[in-house]
Amino acid sequence: MTRLKRNLFALLQPIIAVIIGLLAGAIAIVLLGDSVIDTYAEMWNGAFGSFYFLTNTLTRATPIILTGLGVALAFRAGFFNMGSTGQMVLGGLAAAITALYLPGPGWMVLVVSLVVGMAIGGLWSLFAGYMDAKFGINLLISTLLLNYIASLFAGYMVAFPLKDQSGSAAMAQTPMIDKSIWLPKLFSGMSLHAGFILAIVAAIALYIFIQKSVSGYEIRMLGNNPFFAAYGGVKRGRMMVVAMLTSGALAGLAGAGEVLGTQHRYLDGALASADYGWSGIMATLLASSNPLGTAVAGILLAALQTGAMGVERNTNVPLEVASVIQAVLTLFVSARFGYAFLKRRKEKK
Amino acid sequence: MTLLLEMKNITKKYGDFTANHNINFDVRKGEIHALVGENGAGKTTLMRMLYGMEEPTSGSIMINGKEVHFHDPSEAIRQGIGMVHQHFMLFPSFTLAENIVIGGEPKRSGLFDRKAAADKVNELGQMYGMPVDPWRKAGDCPLGVQQRTEILKVLYQGADVIILDEPTGVLTPSEVKELLQSIKRLAAQGKSFILITHKLHEVMEAADRITVLRDGVITGHMESNTTDEEKISRLMVGRDLIPMSRVANEPGASVMHVQNVTLAGAKGAKPLLDNVTLTVRQGEIVGIAGISGNGQSELLQVISGLVQPDSGIVELNGKDVTGDSVRAIREQGMAHIPEDRYMWGASREATVLDNGLMGHQHQYKKGGLIQSHKLRKVVSGWVERFAIKTGSLDTQAQFLSGGNLQKLIAAREFAQNKPFLIAAEPTRGVDVGAMETIHGELLAKCKTGDGILLVSSELTEILKLSDRVLVMYEGAIAGELSAAEATEEQISLLMAGGKRQL
Amino acid sequence: MDQLFDVSLFNSMLRIVTPILLAALGGAICARVGLFNVGLEGLVLVGAFSAILGNHLLGNVWLAIIFAILCVMLFSLIFAYISINLRANVIVVGISMNFLAAGLTTFCLRAIFDVKGAYYDKNMMGLPKWDIPVIKDIPVLGGIVSGHSPLVYLAFFAAILMQIYLFKTVSGFRLRAAGENPVAAQSLGIPVRRIQYGAVLMSGVLCGLAGAQLSLGQVTMFTEGMTAGRGFIALVATMLGQSNPIGVVASSLLFGFMDAFSIRLQGFALPAQFTQMLPYIVTLVAMFFFKDRSYLKDAQRANGSSR
Repeated sequence: MTRLKRNLFALLQPIIAVIIGLLAGAIAIVLLGDSVIDTYAEMWNGAFGSFYFLTNTLTRATPIILTGLGVALAFRAGFFNMGSTGQMVLGGLAAAITALYLPGPGWMVLVVSLVVGMAIGGLWSLFAGYMDAKFGINLLISTLLLNYIASLFAGYMVAFPLKDQSGSAAMAQTPMIDKSIWLPKLFSGMSLHAGFILAIVAAIALYIFIQKSVSGYEIRMLGNNPFFAAYGGVKRGRMMVVAMLTSGALAGLAGAGEVLGTQHRYLDGALASADYGWSGIMATLLASSNPLGTAVAGILLAALQTGAMGVERNTNVPLEVASVIQAVLTLFVSARFGYAFLKRRKEKK
Repeated sequence: MTLLLEMKNITKKYGDFTANHNINFDVRKGEIHALVGENGAGKTTLMRMLYGMEEPTSGSIMINGKEVHFHDPSEAIRQGIGMVHQHFMLFPSFTLAENIVIGGEPKRSGLFDRKAAADKVNELGQMYGMPVDPWRKAGDCPLGVQQRTEILKVLYQGADVIILDEPTGVLTPSEVKELLQSIKRLAAQGKSFILITHKLHEVMEAADRITVLRDGVITGHMESNTTDEEKISRLMVGRDLIPMSRVANEPGASVMHVQNVTLAGAKGAKPLLDNVTLTVRQGEIVGIAGISGNGQSELLQVISGLVQPDSGIVELNGKDVTGDSVRAIREQGMAHIPEDRYMWGASREATVLDNGLMGHQHQYKKGGLIQSHKLRKVVSGWVERFAIKTGSLDTQAQFLSGGNLQKLIAAREFAQNKPFLIAAEPTRGVDVGAMETIHGELLAKCKTGDGILLVSSELTEILKLSDRVLVMYEGAIAGELSAAEATEEQISLLMAGGKRQL
Repeated sequence: MDQLFDVSLFNSMLRIVTPILLAALGGAICARVGLFNVGLEGLVLVGAFSAILGNHLLGNVWLAIIFAILCVMLFSLIFAYISINLRANVIVVGISMNFLAAGLTTFCLRAIFDVKGAYYDKNMMGLPKWDIPVIKDIPVLGGIVSGHSPLVYLAFFAAILMQIYLFKTVSGFRLRAAGENPVAAQSLGIPVRRIQYGAVLMSGVLCGLAGAQLSLGQVTMFTEGMTAGRGFIALVATMLGQSNPIGVVASSLLFGFMDAFSIRLQGFALPAQFTQMLPYIVTLVAMFFFKDRSYLKDAQRANGSSR
């Protein structure tokens, strides 16, 4: 098969998945007794209908893309890192603390806060990698469990030591971060902030890293066949540090970006309940761990979510229709690993 | 003798490729019929059709004069055909009795009656003179016992015709002898055997009739007492074998030296490597013979840095590399054709290009990136020189045939151009042409003054290429023979744990 | 310490352990046929929702359980088809199943009950509590063992049944054979795929029961994501118990105990966040004791089974 043909083939399957996902959504809409066309038109409008909605969608896509990229790198290396939610929460919390308590000029505090967020997210992720490498603890499960621990810990921090005493006492949140430390908005009056640019740069950088660099090559081979990698002199421990640290750092950056760019404080549950981490994993699965594809899929998923809000505003269909479409989509993309198998068998015969 | 089974005008095509062409093959009651041929001659395809794992494109199969059609193995089993596969089909955590009765388990009040199963197995073992301990776990048994279990299993299933696919590959010579005696005895009791092999002395010893396959067609069909090994091998290969004129080089300084290397096994078990010492010098090929599983794999893993020895040292080019990383050892001067191409040697999902890069990745690095343009040129060079059949450099390795992938791996390691090369089973499963290419390359490399450690389970390969032969048995070097004194008999004896002659 | 450890702690342990145990048994039977079912969490979630839905539609708690079982079986068929027929990576399918379960239940909660977050109907009947005659009058033991929903007893009964099935019957023997060496089993004419389907469906039944206990066993309600990682804890229980039903009971009891204990601790001065963390930390620590495996072994298995 030529390169072009293979790339087209790789593109074809997500498209089929999207069609099936939309079909499943259509069934749900019909069951609710609404018009499919009207609903999808509202969804399109809600996501891309105006410049305001478009920037909203891209704002939402930012953390999805960043966590998705992190997961993509870990998947490529063969590590099922399911901990992006926890890494993101701790990264966001760390960034908030730094931004609140570090003295200095605003731009410097901003940069340091982002870096601290990345570092904490990366270390939390590396911790799971360390337990896997050193004690053989299943990474998939440990990262999942660490999500709960991280969220509860962050919840404690903002409910007690860091709690904002000034405003409404009911909210578990930190005080507001000073305006000089906020991530700059890209357009005045719109929610889109500089984090989106960071996400796109990260996607391109990660693409080049995975496809073109020697370390990226070693990570890919490790994920494909760890024996082959060991035989060829790839050091698994080192690659695990690189992959898990970077993976967690990207999730941490997603959290820091949300805190410094959108919420301007750490609010308990705000990062976890929006399911950015899980949407990121979905984006990765949709794009079969290709960084550029992950960015596109991240925007697509964000569009589904913001579009669904538009649907809820203007029709009787609830916004949860988006979760159904997303889930079906991912399920069918995961079945793609199967198509390859069927194809292989056919070629043999 | 009565005709039990007949395969008439069997043809099997895979796309454009004809694996079997118009084959006629039959088995009489109580005979041992050997089916011989090189790898890829079509023996396995023919037997898979007989065992219901494939269906013929045309032709018919008759049992006791009645035509039969098998869609899956269980139908063949019901018609009295049993097969002992080359890679044993046992369940390691189950007992031998469980392994034998599976599919026809005795029951009592609805539950699996393991006691009755053990009794049946004992009875069966007695009847056919192949006793086994029914309560032992299959995974704990030596390969000879596992083989016996496989045969008892097909006998339990009521087989009259038993297909043995390369049954002796993993056995020690004494186990081989025992096996051949057992099947002769069973044949005398009325069972029929189809013996698939390419080991001609076994054929001559056990078989009543011989059918030779080459490139999917029958090239010969004879009674064993009217022929000899040379005649058969001519029919197998299609021409006279030219003895390789091996001009031994004068060996130079040591390139790789292993001193007293020991590697402990699982708790309580024998050590995997037991005080191994060996040297490979410049310009020589050192062959390591032995039944697989006697420490060869572990030795290679220690030398290449994949496993750290418990004691002893490994030197490469005069430098102690014990405990160094794989990468450091490779950079110190080692290349490595691994023994299992799918497990160690390649990534199925990766492209030909990516597979070719492994081990070279730091040589094609510039500013952290891969110099893919340069790499492409080099890999296409290999594809041309070794006649590797691949769609393109971006084809996934899984779409290459085994032989072509092996050539790619060999090319990759030859291109390392390092003073020391490990060649483990370098021609396993490749066709004759590819084998000659790889052998030629090995000899040429040796001529330039590099040292090669050749590990192979094919004695002919060892004998053809080596300047010296070391035999491994139970993790230790059982003996060393020079090219002049090495004969198949000598080596076989050492392989079986016969006398040490250091 | 009297306040910390008393009869009601162990009583609530049995109640809390039930969904974990049932799901872990489902995981064990899947593991026995060579499928690592990461989708347990989603299966239980669907079970919990469909039990409430069944109760709402049918007005009978027993029919609700049957409804939940049927729904989860249907749901698990998707897992079976994609991972067995299409031979997709089971872990990826399992993860996707969890997404699908979360999405579907959230959507249906909104579409059917028109609520967000949680559904509660004070008129809805939950599972009855059974008092065991004779035993209920024994001091201490009676207080612990008696007075549970029938599903609690069913869970332990199911574990015993599964132990007998796997290790004493012919069919259980063949099921283990199909998991241990599918190629060999296939070559003997054992219908490996059919057995795998059976195992996945069985895990669907068990997870349906687990979900029903979750939503109908104590308070009769459904909240979004109410499984809160119990499916994953069950997965660890499966691994720790080495997929032996009796072992799974032991490891599930450990987790159930920690869960009950953490709830008990909330009565003391500790912040709720830390007591809630306890079960997850204990699960993580428990995994230190399950490490007779290396990544290479895993990869080898994965290579062997998926190709």
